[in-house]
Amino acid sequence: MTAIREALVLPSLFLTVGLLGGVRLGQTVVLVPPSLFALILGVLLVRLLIQSGALAPERLLSSVRTPLANVNGAIVLLTLWTASAQTFALLIPDAGLPRLAFNIYFLLLLLNTSAASPDRRRLLRSLAVTFGSVFVLKFVVLAELSAPGTGWLKRVLQAMVEGITLGTLTQEVLHPATGYIAFFVVGLFLLGVFLLPYGRPPASTDLQNTLYPLARTT
Amino acid sequence: MPETTTRAAGVAVTVIYAALIAWLYARQPQTIAQVTGGLSAAVGAYRIDEQAFADGLRFFQSDRFVEARMAFARADPAERDVRTQFYIAYAFYRQGWGRLYHDDALYREGLDAVNRAIALAPHGRLIVDDARLQMHTADELKAELEAGIRVDASDFNPARLFRERK
Repeated sequence: MTAIREALVLPSLFLTVGLLGGVRLGQTVVLVPPSLFALILGVLLVRLLIQSGALAPERLLSSVRTPLANVNGAIVLLTLWTASAQTFALLIPDAGLPRLAFNIYFLLLLLNTSAASPDRRRLLRSLAVTFGSVFVLKFVVLAELSAPGTGWLKRVLQAMVEGITLGTLTQEVLHPATGYIAFFVVGLFLLGVFLLPYGRPPASTDLQNTLYPLARTT
Repeated sequence: MPETTTRAAGVAVTVIYAALIAWLYARQPQTIAQVTGGLSAAVGAYRIDEQAFADGLRFFQSDRFVEARMAFARADPAERDVRTQFYIAYAFYRQGWGRLYHDDALYREGLDAVNRAIALAPHGRLIVDDARLQMHTADELKAELEAGIRVDASDFNPARLFRERK
């Protein structure tokens, strides 16, 4: 990895995610910091990136590097964590039952993925699919359900959904630009993760023995 | 460019960018003018539009409070000047003042403005030396605005009909 990428590109990219991920457009523009739970999800994601080899921390922080290079590496790790947390905070709905459901979904997904020990390529693919589908759920499906009805049929359906879910499903109406910003932020975050210095995944000996039975390790 | 220079520049750029983001989250500016004004105030380079301030003062003294606030807003678009925010709050007070009742909505906006002024003033202490005003400190103005919003026994005192606007 070049010094430019490590010192300038990655921190700027992740800080931009941290900035734009908190933007909530409405009557006024509000910048919302990530919730405590999003910070925890961010830690789990960083751990998962290291476990899968998508991030090689020894290429960012080690005793063979100069102190300045280690500062750059630490900045990359710190900004990656805040960007991860902000991306989760952006994708999780703001209120009601969907917020709780998405929080639990992300937690279980991260723990499950960690247990599955995917390699870098699979993890990146899985992240793209997960974030993409959650983006569609929040910014297309939920936003459409929460948007004020224009026709009588939609208003009737909305009233039924409101009644059945006791008003816990619908969200505050999003500004039209919110989805576009979120799409950009998620894309930027995935690009940043793709650009991270990666290494060989620390596969367990059991897994290696299963995959390569002729080259058994003890 | 040597690697050390690149790395040092990276640290500097990141620290500045992170500080800017932290500032934006803390201040929550609503307009570009507030962003630029806040940043220039941080380096001591913020100046209000003196002509617009003078216009606002002239409107204020002739009891044209809406016009006065528009001129004051033009003078201090970033809402970073203590004195201008004080006059905006005072304009809300005077416009909302009534012998029988006060306009709570205007008083609340006045309270927001005087709180901004107090937050900007060194140690929260603000004195405006204007002989045409009856309240010269932000504390007096804030107390008057808060009393106007609050509903208590004094609201039903008939003697309030004889009170004068400050």
